[in-house]
Parts: sequence; structure tokens; C-alpha cells
Amino acid sequence: MSDINELVDQIKQATDYQINKRILREKIITDLHFTYNGGLFKATPELFSFVVCWNSEELFLEDTYQNPIKVNRKEFIDVCGQHYQMAMNHWHIEHEQLKRTRKV
Amino acid sequence: MNNSNAPAKSRGVVLFAHNTPTVNYERIAEQASRLITYTLNLPTTIITAVDDTSNVRIGYANATPWYNMGRYRAYDLSPYDETILLDSDYLILDNNLLKILDTTIDYAIMDKNQSPTGTVDTPAILSIPMVWATAVIFKKTSKAKLLFDLVARIQRNYGYYKRLYHLKSNNFRNDYAFAIADNIVNGYQPRQGIPWTMLTADKPIKKLEIKNNNIILREEKSAHVIPRQSIHIIDKDYLQSDEYVEFVDTVCQIK
Repeated sequence: MSDINELVDQIKQATDYQINKRILREKIITDLHFTYNGGLFKATPELFSFVVCWNSEELFLEDTYQNPIKVNRKEFIDVCGQHYQMAMNHWHIEHEQLKRTRKV
Repeated sequence: MNNSNAPAKSRGVVLFAHNTPTVNYERIAEQASRLITYTLNLPTTIITAVDDTSNVRIGYANATPWYNMGRYRAYDLSPYDETILLDSDYLILDNNLLKILDTTIDYAIMDKNQSPTGTVDTPAILSIPMVWATAVIFKKTSKAKLLFDLVARIQRNYGYYKRLYHLKSNNFRNDYAFAIADNIVNGYQPRQGIPWTMLTADKPIKKLEIKNNNIILREEKSAHVIPRQSIHIIDKDYLQSDEYVEFVDTVCQIK
């Protein structure tokens, strides 16, 4: 195989960081979803902050499917916080790996 | 409060596989079933040859026979109370679909789709939101039954619905039938489906590998590093290959 052919073959195997980064982000958005009391929620800083600031121990939150879900504040903060941290940690680790990957 | 006397609801996955002269869907479904059992820990039912009415495939394997007419029967044929209905070319590599089963909704359909490069299939249906029947999750409720009954009616009267909804394609696709039925069931209003994006590998595949919990997808001109997740594979030649069986073997050996 000539040098040019080898070079072309190598370039074909190269992977695009920006594409991989976007695919990873989509996956993390999927992973940020969690279920609670029959409702489906996406763990976001806004949702977490809202529930932390709420001043009674029980409230109703609208889930992804536009249903009001009864929520125990403390329990929800635990579930949402843990889920958010797990997904974001995973994102950070995977992203660090991706930055180093130029060829696969 | 949970009723401890209530019987546990059965859950499982249903796949449709009807061989054509060019694609051995049963072979593909067997491998899909292995991935499902390993990843979701749910039983799988493969339904074969439920309807012999031949359609013609457009796009991939253009102008070849295609038996896609029996999907509406999934509601009646599923032996489970709660069902994940999948195309056999949707590789289950993560357990996110289980989250939908844990909600109280009657059904949910995949409504966002993207290739690794970010392109999307141009839908032939423009008047209402598109859905992809590749993944449909449903419970045995009257609302879900209505959805499947409507899909059957749309299939029987496809010419009428094609004109009514300004479909650009003459070819019946379950995606269109489910999109129309979903729209009708929800009072002609858009509705949240499965709230994340389905990844579709739309180009011919040279190889799939799994390394450090990442999937390496090698195409003819590029390669992608994909975090472990479910993937819809269009290339049926790859799915019938021994390389794909080896990929499934590898996945089922590692967590």
C-alpha cells in the first residue's frame, strides 16, 4: 500500500471530537431523567433549587408528561440531587476521555 | 400507598420479525433478544409472520419486499401487562426505557431521532409531529388500546389518511400510522413522547466495538465514539453478519 493510501486510511479512521461531544451530551440528557412516585423528571439545577427553596415538606410538581406528582420535599431532594450528581460526574469523566481521543 | 395484595404487573419486550427474501429478521431479532435479556433483564417475545401482506421498502434496500403490516396487533399479541415494543434493529444497550415503564402514562412513542452527525430523517409527514415506531412503550389500558385500534384503521384506510394528513409518501410506514393515531388519541394536540433522542446509525457499518463502556462505531469514512446507549441500526447487512453476533457476544460478557 502506498503512503498516500495509508494516510487516507488513517484519516478515515479519525474521529470528530465535536460530533462525539454532541452525542455524549445527548446521552447525558437522557441519563438526567429519573422517576419519582410515578412521574418522570429531568434533574436540572432549576428543579433542584426550586425544591430546596420550597417552604413546606410536601408539594406537587409537574412532571415531563404534564402530570402533577405529589412530592416529599426531603426525599425528592435526595433522589434528584444524587441523580444529578451521578449523571454530571459521568459526563465529566467521559468528556475528559473524549478530549484525548482523536483516533480510534 | 401501595396495595401489597395487588398482583405484580408483568413486563416484557415484544419484537416483530418477518423474514424477507433479502433480510433474515428472525436472526436479527434473536440477537436483539439477547441484548434485551442482558441489559433490561426482561423476557422477550418474538412475533413472526403475523401478516403476509407485502409492502415495498423505500430507501434502505429500495424496492424489496417488506412485511410491516402487523404491528397494530402488538396490543393483543403481547403477553405482558406492560410492554416495550421494539424494532429488532434497535440495539438495547442501556436501561433508560425502563424509566418510562415506571411512570403512570398509558403509552409513549419515540419522537426524536438523530444520526451520529446530527442529521435527521426528513419526515414525509409535515402536518403533525413525526414519531418513530421503532420504540413504543404501552400498558394494557383503554387509551393504549385505542391507539393500536386507530393504527389498524389507518393501515386499512391508508389512502384516505395519506391525503388527509398530506403525506408525501405512498408507502405505508408504521411511523406515519402511529404519528396520526397518536395525534387523534390526544385530541389533535402535540404530546410528549419518550423525552430523549434516539440515536440512529444511518450509514453502512464496517464494525461495532465496545471499549471502556464506549461503543466505537466505524463507518466507511468515519468513526464515532458513543457512550454506551441504545442504537437504531439501519444497515441490515451488518445486523445479519457474524461480526454483529460477535459484538453481541462481547456486550453480553461485560457489564
